[in-house]
Amino acid sequence: MRPRVRYLALRWLAGNGWPWATTAARAGLAVVWLFAGTRKIGDVDDFGRAINAYRILPYDMAMATGAALPLVEVMLGMLLLLGLATRVVAGVSAALLIVFMTGIVWVWAHGYRIDCGCFGSGGGLGVGESPTYLFDLVRDSTLLALAVLLLIRPGGWLAVDNWLHHETQIPSGEGNR
Amino acid sequence: MTPSRTPSAAVAAQFAAERRRRRTLWTSLAVVVVLAVISVAGYQRYSRRPADPIRLPAGTATGDDTGIARGAGPVKIDVFTDFLCPSCKQFEESTADLFDTMIGDGRVTIVAHPVAFLDRMSNDSEYSTRASAASACAADAGRYVDYSRELFRRQPVEHTSGMSDSELIDIGHSLGLDERFADCVQKRTYQGWVAHVTERAVRQQITGTPSVTVNGHAVRADPAEITAAVAAER
Repeated sequence: MRPRVRYLALRWLAGNGWPWATTAARAGLAVVWLFAGTRKIGDVDDFGRAINAYRILPYDMAMATGAALPLVEVMLGMLLLLGLATRVVAGVSAALLIVFMTGIVWVWAHGYRIDCGCFGSGGGLGVGESPTYLFDLVRDSTLLALAVLLLIRPGGWLAVDNWLHHETQIPSGEGNR
Repeated sequence: MTPSRTPSAAVAAQFAAERRRRRTLWTSLAVVVVLAVISVAGYQRYSRRPADPIRLPAGTATGDDTGIARGAGPVKIDVFTDFLCPSCKQFEESTADLFDTMIGDGRVTIVAHPVAFLDRMSNDSEYSTRASAASACAADAGRYVDYSRELFRRQPVEHTSGMSDSELIDIGHSLGLDERFADCVQKRTYQGWVAHVTERAVRQQITGTPSVTVNGHAVRADPAEITAAVAAER
């Protein structure tokens, strides 16, 4: 039975499966971007403080990035939900996720004890809280995998891209003027 | 493709492909531009804050205008708390007697930095900032310690709006503070100072509250550890 199931799964992917898989990936990544962005968008300084806690960027750059990034995250989420320019958005998402993961590895390697601030918490750990770097990295790699999938196969159902790039059949006579 | 496909159809398909490519290019470019514009808008959000000279409350520490000083002993304890942070309330209660004794013995100077980290946790009422600014108004009347203890005693729950300005004023009245205090709270006189206190704390990598340093060295916010650190400094 097993090989048969695998065969059916592969055939599904080869047929109509991919468009649904990429649509699911788009929706998943979109929800995470929207959640992460809206959690941080209300307090202009809060995410900046979290970035400052990584001790990578100087204070003013960290604060400016912290003010701008939540807006970008929400925008990426909305574009993914719409399925507009999916390949570009997936590329930007992947690049951001790689930057985030590099930051977490950096902090971990230096032994700083912070909250990653990914979903808005100012970067400070509460009393008795421990860093969760490994979990953060696993979560971000999963998201990165989704972004890479979309980078390779940006097509999929329920996307504005499809509608935008849809070509009505040109009557063959038109070329014969 | 159907067998009836003619060369002209192939040319048409080629044109269509070219059009698709161009459209993809333009949508991609448009999205990149939108993302760039949004980043700049975000940066504006940060950089549009006023650069007015900050008004300082009475009683700030010598050489450090970001904290209210108490005592004049040789060992300096810096305490960073947020009036909305539950563990800060615990910390204040567990160290009140210890700090009173240390000050009485003339061993320490305690500098209180009322930072505003948790504004996002009060339903947009910015309770941390308002409470901290009100405590600075109390400092003008020399009552910072009493007032801040009262604020911690009546600490609101996180994710509620917290006390209103008039409730903050009422607490002052109950401590015998006069109309100058009420006026100071009402006008948010020390809002800029609170932002300054918070910024300086963040710049020196204070990432959470309560945080304590003894002569500049980070110490766990715990009475026993602070006692040990102070003893080690003498």
